[in-house]
Amino acid sequence: MTRQSMHRVNVPVTIVISILAIACIFPFFWMLRSSFMSNLEINRYPPTLLPTLWHWENYPQTLRTFPFGRYLLNTLTITVPALLGTLLTSTLAAYTFARLNFRGKKFWFMMVIASMLMPGAVTIIPIFLGWTQLGLSNGYVPLIVPAFLGGGGFNIFLGRQFLLTIPRDLDEAAYIDGAGHARILFQVLLPLIKPVLISIFLFTFIIYWNDLLGPLIYITRNQQNTIAQGLANFRAGFGTDYRAIMAACTMSIAPSVALYFIGQRYFIEGIVLSGLKA
Amino acid sequence: MKSSRSRRTTLVAYLFLTPAILGLVFITVLPLLGVVGISLTHWSGLVPPTYIGLDNYRDIFTVDPYFARSVVATLYFAVGAVIMGTLYAFFVALMLNQRIPGRGFFRSVFFLPYVVPSVGASVVWGWMYEANFGVFNYFLSLFGFDKVQWLGNDITATPSIIALTVWGLGNFIVIFLAGLQSVPTSYLEAVEIDGGRAWHKFRHVTLPLMSPIIFFNVLMSLVTNLQIFIPARTLTKGGPNNSTLYMVLLIFREGFERNNFGHAAAVSLIFFLFIGALTGLIFATSRKWLFFEGA
Repeated sequence: MTRQSMHRVNVPVTIVISILAIACIFPFFWMLRSSFMSNLEINRYPPTLLPTLWHWENYPQTLRTFPFGRYLLNTLTITVPALLGTLLTSTLAAYTFARLNFRGKKFWFMMVIASMLMPGAVTIIPIFLGWTQLGLSNGYVPLIVPAFLGGGGFNIFLGRQFLLTIPRDLDEAAYIDGAGHARILFQVLLPLIKPVLISIFLFTFIIYWNDLLGPLIYITRNQQNTIAQGLANFRAGFGTDYRAIMAACTMSIAPSVALYFIGQRYFIEGIVLSGLKA
Repeated sequence: MKSSRSRRTTLVAYLFLTPAILGLVFITVLPLLGVVGISLTHWSGLVPPTYIGLDNYRDIFTVDPYFARSVVATLYFAVGAVIMGTLYAFFVALMLNQRIPGRGFFRSVFFLPYVVPSVGASVVWGWMYEANFGVFNYFLSLFGFDKVQWLGNDITATPSIIALTVWGLGNFIVIFLAGLQSVPTSYLEAVEIDGGRAWHKFRHVTLPLMSPIIFFNVLMSLVTNLQIFIPARTLTKGGPNNSTLYMVLLIFREGFERNNFGHAAAVSLIFFLFIGALTGLIFATSRKWLFFEGA
């Protein structure tokens, strides 16, 4: 194969992939375009590609019945502590499995790996009844606390895999200097494992932002609803006003999309790490 | 000296592992035992549970009108989504691995739906599926087809939900592309020298080298997709004709909308065994098609 042909663009593939990419983007475009239309125009048939007049006022109008700010605050009230708990406790476990030798290590590691395949939906009934016994089944506590209990097998595994790629020289030097394990982890290794921490952060964020089952079980008051819950209710309540529903939907997915554009590199790296190194 | 140091290490290790071990105990092990225990009771939540033996299981297999339907629907959805998702992602990844301009840009485009929260994706697709003014029926009409009640009839409801799920599988594309890029070109060139064509390269080099990656991701996404909930809850509420009454929706409905916790727990346990059997099946057959380099 000559150098020339290596650089030649494959035209048919480029055309097919471009068409597929447009199809992939289309739902976003359709959502945005619908959110700016008048109620008359959105129900016109055949549909028009773009609004003839951009109705920006759809958004403030939607906000009157869809308290996005409130929902955002509620979602953050769950997500921020959950992120903290996940990062902290999964890093501790990852460090232990990657660096320390102790009795029972194999057993606990196997348990963690096995828990990765555990389908979470199977245990919603006993966990809910457990929180009921504690009198805490109504509110954010059951949604936050599990994040502080190891942060999930997958994150522990991801962190461990990443730590194994970092040479031990640094922690050994620190150990000889008299540093304890907490100091080795948080002062020496933490800066080095930043990429995997960012990946865990992003995945955890997506999972909590995505969750509907948890909030439906534990949050009954409308005032405390999360974004996902609010959007699902809004759609159920405003069945045919698709202009308002699309405006609400645009606002609801905006934080995730924004986060994606900010952290894109880490998303891709993290996905590759999670899908290949396993 | 040495033993006191290793004892200290063990102490630190268990200290660091305390949250994770508590998680295993309180999120996995005890709840699993709890599912078994609760499934043997009649428990409405208001009055204390009463032990009824295996009655819940008997009801599930004899009088429960939803259970069998739910198992079939769940299996249909999950297998469909995993197969379609894997084919779609592999196809796109293969194309992205060709000589095309802006590969990074395209990769970002195909990955983007992955970050969209499921409720949002469901709501947008629900609008596109809408029977009277939805854009999909408009596209169909361009080809002379009649309007379809995408989410309103039991033949198209699950395939429609599969389509929106597959759209969200951008992570697969990124993973498969990374896998394809790690296939050594020397192997591919060797096939070329032997006179092999593109198909041979794919069949005898690319596919075997990718099989562990495919295996792992198929396994994980099967477990995820068997637990499908959000699109059905948001768009169809299990209908029409219970065709989208997937297992988690059934458990949720029995437990939290009908306060029938014993029954819901029994369904949960069967669901758990069902998932276990399916993943076991994949592991068992994996030896036939899985290729490990150097193994």
